[in-house]
Amino acid sequence: MQTRRAIASFLLLAALPVSLVIPARSQNAEQVAKTTLKVGDRAPDFTLLSDQWKTVKLSDFHGKKNVFLAVYVLAFTGG
Amino acid sequence: MDSPAANAAFAKQIDIKFPLLSDMNKKMLKDYGILKDNDVQGQTYQWAERANIVIDKDGIVQHIESGGGAINPNNAMAICTDLHKKQTSK
Repeated sequence: MQTRRAIASFLLLAALPVSLVIPARSQNAEQVAKTTLKVGDRAPDFTLLSDQWKTVKLSDFHGKKNVFLAVYVLAFTGG
Repeated sequence: MDSPAANAAFAKQIDIKFPLLSDMNKKMLKDYGILKDNDVQGQTYQWAERANIVIDKDGIVQHIESGGGAINPNNAMAICTDLHKKQTSK
């Protein structure tokens, strides 16, 4: 496991309990998920806040580490 | 989306050692095409699809799995490990 930790920056992205989701208006629908990422695509850069309130950018790892990005839903549940 | 504070509590609860990130404005989720509309009792809500994504050092997506296929991270983790082995053997 230590080896794995060494090779990959493992980032988890929080997505949300349903109760916290803001209802989407229908006119926002066209803003949603136009692109679906595919193998071979350049991953769009992102700037996100970590649980330690530090800014984390994908580009921070460019040329340094591979990144394992796990998007999960329903934190605090068994799901 | 869960806030950094909620993520900190979750990380503490299950003893996570890697960063948990929050996409409060959903920009990253939109850019990655994993923010989905979901109908719940006649209302439309947006939340992320579950996904595992492996991105190499050059910023290129090497693996992506989503939905039910992303519940178990072992396959993506193995691909990440193999990627590292290939890079270090060059």
